[in-house]
Amino acid sequence: MRRFSPQDKLSRSEMLSTEIDQETILMSIDAGAYYGLKGSAQSIWEKLETPLTFSALVDGLVKEYRISPEACAADLEGFLAEMEREGLLSVE
Amino acid sequence: MSLNGYRAYGLRIHADFECPELPCLHIETGNPDVTIRLLPPTVDAMESLESGHYEVQSGIFRLVVPDVAFYRVEEGCRIFITPLPGVSIEKLRLFLLGSAMGALLYQRGLFPLHGSAIETPWGAMIFVGTQGAGKSTLAAQFYLKGYRLLSDDVCAVEATPDGLWTLPAFARFRLCADAFARFGSPQDARFDVDKFVVPVRNNYCPCPVPLRAIHILADHDNNNPEFEELRGFDRVQRLLENLYRPHFLKGQGTQSILMQMAGLIAQKTTIASVSRRRAPEMIEGLVGFLESAWAERFGANPPKENN
Repeated sequence: MRRFSPQDKLSRSEMLSTEIDQETILMSIDAGAYYGLKGSAQSIWEKLETPLTFSALVDGLVKEYRISPEACAADLEGFLAEMEREGLLSVE
Repeated sequence: MSLNGYRAYGLRIHADFECPELPCLHIETGNPDVTIRLLPPTVDAMESLESGHYEVQSGIFRLVVPDVAFYRVEEGCRIFITPLPGVSIEKLRLFLLGSAMGALLYQRGLFPLHGSAIETPWGAMIFVGTQGAGKSTLAAQFYLKGYRLLSDDVCAVEATPDGLWTLPAFARFRLCADAFARFGSPQDARFDVDKFVVPVRNNYCPCPVPLRAIHILADHDNNNPEFEELRGFDRVQRLLENLYRPHFLKGQGTQSILMQMAGLIAQKTTIASVSRRRAPEMIEGLVGFLESAWAERFGANPPKENN
């Protein structure tokens, strides 16, 4: 499984986006691909409007969702790896 | 130089050559929204663009069509055409009214769809779908039944504080041989590349009409047509898939406005997938089927239009 270290810098990709029924829709014109983000996925996308380190993103989510940092980091890794695979995220 | 005045997409257009595909502007005020200029032909019109390529920048769009022309569209109000040597005016117009006008619509923050639109008592109905999906054929069948045409092949939606409007544009049908025959093969038609072009002189709706529904045409084997309203995410995706020249969106100064519009249109408009078996003898039945579907959803006795 893809692991992230606390200092990894996360930047979201430039995407066209719109909202419908509280869902964020992302569109990649070049790839003809569409993504729908709801709930925490939407919140993560919004937080990444400016690049953040992995640990800063965990801190933000822990405050918002009142979960333990360990549980948050574990869930987040899976989601970020998926975003990275889809080309929605770059990691430095 | 004589000026030719036209009105399409709610815009006053002046061109320095004739564009019979567009409805004429009847009252001149001298101040057009859009000017179309033909520049002297030259061989080095390409500037820095490779042949067959286009470039989208904020407020400026450039396109080179091989053996045809170089098009430059500025700020949603000026189109310059530099023809390549030996090109015909028909070819120049084909890409002017297609790609170049499409780019102009994006620059103006109008939402262009690859589809045909008719006026109905419920509002404007748009039919979209891939090349050859039957958009024009279906719109033409409604037209034969007395509905007014708003635009064939490309139509545009405008968002205003009063709601969403479908703008009138092309006063002509581009029809395949079957639909042309049902149309009675009118004398004033001409054959252009692969379609019969039939001018629409009467029964053209010259005013914007509130947008009611967008229909995505699909094929199936069943004899009974189906009308399926789309929900959630699908609505936005299918709407964006039916943009006219979607690759021109990226890089426009208006791209975020247009994406917001996509969300708004998907939310406020009925977006439906209409599947039917495609056969010439089925087309009349499809018209009746859609009229019933609209009456069921939007009311059997829609308010009478005043115009």
